[in-house]
Amino acid sequence: MKNFTKLRDWSRKNATVITSLAVTIIIIIIFQIINPSFLSHEGIRASIYAMSYFLIVACGLTFVIMMGSFDFSVVSLLKLAALFCVVFIDRYGLFVIPLAILLTTGFGFLNGLLVARFNVPSFMATLGVSIIVEGIALYFSKGRLFLMYNEQFRALAIKSIAGLPAIFYWAMAIWFVSVFIALCTPFGRRTYAIGSNLVAAGLSGVNVVRHRILVFMLSGFYAGLAGVLYMGQLGGGSVRLGTDLAVPLFASIIAGGTALTGGTGGPHRTLLGVIIITWTQTGLLMLAIGRDIQMVIFGIIAIALAAATVDRRRVKSVK
Amino acid sequence: MPQNEASLLEVRNVRKTFDSVVRALWDVSFSVYPNEIVGVVGENGAGKSTLMKILVGVFPPDSGEMYHLGSKVPFPKNPREAARRGVSLVPQEKGVVMHLRVYQFLFLGHEDEFTSFWGLKTREMKRLARDILKELHIDCDVDSFMYDLSLPLQKLVEIAKAILTVRLRCKDPDITPIIILDEPTAPLAVEQREQLFEFIMKAKKTSSFIFVSHIIPEILNFADRIYVLRDGKVVAYHDSSSQKVTEEDIFKEIVGRSASEYLYKTATSSTVRDRVCLSVKNLTKKGYYYDISFDLHEGECIGLFGTAGSGKVEIVRTLAGIMDFDDGSIVVDGHSLKGMEASYVGLKYGIGYFSGETGKELFLNWSIARNISILNLEKILKWNGLVISPAEENELAEEIMRKLRIKAPNPQTECYSLSGGNKQKVSVGKWMEKSPRILLLEDPTIGIDVGAREDIYEALLEMKKNGIAMILVSDDPKEYLLLCDRIAYIKSGRIEKIVSPEEFEAMIREE
Amino acid sequence: MKTLIGMIKNNFVLMVLILLVVVFICAYPKKFLSPVNISSIVRQFIRLSLFALGPTFVVVIGSMDLTYVGIWMLGGILVWYVSSWIGPFAILIYPILGFVTGLLVGVIQVKAKIPSFILTLSITVTYWGLTAWLSGGYPRRVKGFGFITASLLPYLPVALLWAIPIMIVAVFIMKRTRIGTYFYAIGSNEEGAELSGIDVEKYKILAFTLSGLFTGIGLIILFPLLGGSAPTELKLGSIVDPLIAIVLGGTPLVGGSGGPERTLLGALTFAVIQRGLSLTFWKPELIQLLLGLVVLGAILVGARKLKGMVIT
Repeated sequence: MKNFTKLRDWSRKNATVITSLAVTIIIIIIFQIINPSFLSHEGIRASIYAMSYFLIVACGLTFVIMMGSFDFSVVSLLKLAALFCVVFIDRYGLFVIPLAILLTTGFGFLNGLLVARFNVPSFMATLGVSIIVEGIALYFSKGRLFLMYNEQFRALAIKSIAGLPAIFYWAMAIWFVSVFIALCTPFGRRTYAIGSNLVAAGLSGVNVVRHRILVFMLSGFYAGLAGVLYMGQLGGGSVRLGTDLAVPLFASIIAGGTALTGGTGGPHRTLLGVIIITWTQTGLLMLAIGRDIQMVIFGIIAIALAAATVDRRRVKSVK
Repeated sequence: MPQNEASLLEVRNVRKTFDSVVRALWDVSFSVYPNEIVGVVGENGAGKSTLMKILVGVFPPDSGEMYHLGSKVPFPKNPREAARRGVSLVPQEKGVVMHLRVYQFLFLGHEDEFTSFWGLKTREMKRLARDILKELHIDCDVDSFMYDLSLPLQKLVEIAKAILTVRLRCKDPDITPIIILDEPTAPLAVEQREQLFEFIMKAKKTSSFIFVSHIIPEILNFADRIYVLRDGKVVAYHDSSSQKVTEEDIFKEIVGRSASEYLYKTATSSTVRDRVCLSVKNLTKKGYYYDISFDLHEGECIGLFGTAGSGKVEIVRTLAGIMDFDDGSIVVDGHSLKGMEASYVGLKYGIGYFSGETGKELFLNWSIARNISILNLEKILKWNGLVISPAEENELAEEIMRKLRIKAPNPQTECYSLSGGNKQKVSVGKWMEKSPRILLLEDPTIGIDVGAREDIYEALLEMKKNGIAMILVSDDPKEYLLLCDRIAYIKSGRIEKIVSPEEFEAMIREE
Repeated sequence: MKTLIGMIKNNFVLMVLILLVVVFICAYPKKFLSPVNISSIVRQFIRLSLFALGPTFVVVIGSMDLTYVGIWMLGGILVWYVSSWIGPFAILIYPILGFVTGLLVGVIQVKAKIPSFILTLSITVTYWGLTAWLSGGYPRRVKGFGFITASLLPYLPVALLWAIPIMIVAVFIMKRTRIGTYFYAIGSNEEGAELSGIDVEKYKILAFTLSGLFTGIGLIILFPLLGGSAPTELKLGSIVDPLIAIVLGGTPLVGGSGGPERTLLGALTFAVIQRGLSLTFWKPELIQLLLGLVVLGAILVGARKLKGMVIT
């Protein structure tokens, strides 16, 4: 009897995780039934490719949302890093990689500065920064399509190791490190603190300004990393890269169980959300359901999830 | 009570319980007569606001009766109904809509009187606004934005609005408006309060006021009758027929301790050491406190005593880094602190700040263990400081729970579910572990039960023994006697005198 | 002198606008004052205004409304579908869609307590998906709205005449009706508004509904003006430009002040900046960058009012 109550309490506490897991399994089963090749070698490969770069940028964004803010610029930063690599690889060789990531981290710093020092609401600040980033991306890509010929660069992402592409291992490693940071380190703890109660965090000795800037920089860093690997995976692109990433990205973080109110969730949760969203994307694609309907579905899912995960205890009025 | 007149408004035996646990009001009876000022005093959590909200219709009581002009009436269902009977509330905070102009704010909610096809009849609104401001001797331009007005002027306009609300809703000219003022002077500086009091005395000719406050001198000066609330009950009542009441009398009634309890003293020898860890010189903030100077030694606790509004709270918050100061200096171990340094900077120099309002300070959706550890991260790290050790975190929490007798199933319990006293203990516990050089205490035991209080006092005394210096601000004289080595009596923003605990005890027993 | 500084501070954007116009006229006298340029400034002004007027109501109460792009796209396709039955009257789809969208958003926002930014962005994306699905991926043109696109004078498209009443009504609602006062009150201090007896939920829903409705009505003019078709690709610029007009005009994002007249000023200023910059020899990408910096600047200036508040 005691074991049963323990199990019941545990499952109540971890309700979101269990739900996410259940949804994941159900989705996989449904898609597999409808299209038997879903779980085939090809199918899984497609899902892996959809998931990997996505997971990386989602991990970065997760930290920001944990902290109670929002980073609208990650998509543009991902695009910037990707384009930067493909446009300048001939000039700088593989050196473009650290340069691109440095660039996106720098913009993350700008985001952090605007939010933490100048008190700009995060969605507005990151929106403004993303406009600038778009401008820059347009500036040096001039709207043209570029192709990545550098074999070494591409190998970083698509080299096959034990049947799976390298980018998968990157994503898993980065995810693992992110979970570690979030759950086990003081840095992660402070991030949760700020998201849970900003004033209390300051009163508890957290250097709130500095930490927020660092987290935005981290998000920029992840976006850059994801962009670099994404370019390796794609092999080319133009300024129109990734325009439909924003909503699925956001949906996957919330689906995993990291609420917009901040202070909860984390990268470990985001993995499940990413799997749900990206594997659903792939499954829908395999059913020849176009991007358009996908947008509709994800839009509705995002709204429903946002409504479901708001922590009513903490917000009296939402704007 | 005046027997010959009928009361304007009366409630009897009002009871209100929240969540079937918290008894906010118990058998409260209360009355208001025309053209008088009724004072309602009590600690935070005593039930004052709850009673007012019931009078004004924000929520109904669980039981009780209400009489209007002598006849029994149902309790108002919403503020509109209350206004129809002549009762209106000026809330403690957030009553003012800053971005509206004065005339817009005055008539906010009453626009039906002024609508036409061409929009609102602003000319008429302005005219009527000028009329009422003139009548009440409030000097301001109806076109100004509310944010352009000084704080006391804003309050006056709020009161004008309340009076206006009653006049517009209550069509019976015989009914005197009852305006409830909930802590109207709390945000005001000492000089600004004069303006408010002058106004109320003049306005008394046409209205009645219920003055809710915990600033005792003000109530004594202006109220015709006083009700003292404690733990949801009316524990005392004074009117012109009772003998001259003093501040200290009311104090005791609010806090609820008999004279004999003041004899409690610490048995141990002094914990005060020689070294000065905090030096404050001529600290000044215009409107709040002036020329505050003292030296704080290790292991010493200085109490800042005074009635609410004396400036003691502002001094402590300035030292904590939450408020700015205009002049003077704060020196901690040789470092000079600037005004409004963020609170985490103060912590770097060893100044910790603990406020009894636990919502501000605790992460309520976190476990006890996490709340303790966030302040003490450096103590539970392993692997060269990289990783948090959950085992050590748990151990630390268990140790503190044991020392402070925190009642919870385990360290992983969420703080949401703890009682007020236990939440306070978690806060104290985390500071106990942190051992800052200086701990600033603001109302550390407010609103919690006796048992929890004793446990917290024990912990604080032990911290003192270990050399931690403290500054205490509180409403409970017993706390000062228990914890402080010296007590600074603050009045109107200045240190009147610094006394020893014995002298203090004598002071408050004076009758 | 003090009053002069005060005057400049109060009408900062207006001063900037005048300054810009003067600068551009001096720099490019022939090009700037040419009929082509003036008419494109006016067109841009109309476009920005009619998209931004609706959302202004929502910004004043302190929220955000990004549904205008979605309404534009989805409405465009629906108009095309329906026009085969009822001809040009199909354009009435827009106000209907706008009204329904606004009402939906308002109710969801208020009852489910979802941050408006996320909610309206998701709705726009959803509408985009529906548009792409219904249109098969490329824009559909609808003809027959010449009475809007014809030119009145060599400089001014007649659309301006149609747009002016909308602008007047928006300003009237905000400044002269109880609705406007309540919007300012809710944006300034929601709790205080509630304490004054205002049904805050009702007026919040009203704000979103008005926003959608105004956008829909504005689109009656914009749809033909912009070629009689709506895009099927979601571009960042079309989302952000109207917001720039609002922010530049001086309506703070936390609400409580500003309003449609400010948005109109911001739209005009932005149109002048955009057209003026396009006259220079600078590359379009550089101009895009500069515009981004302008936006950032406007946001920073607006955010200075937020000192002391906890901002996430």
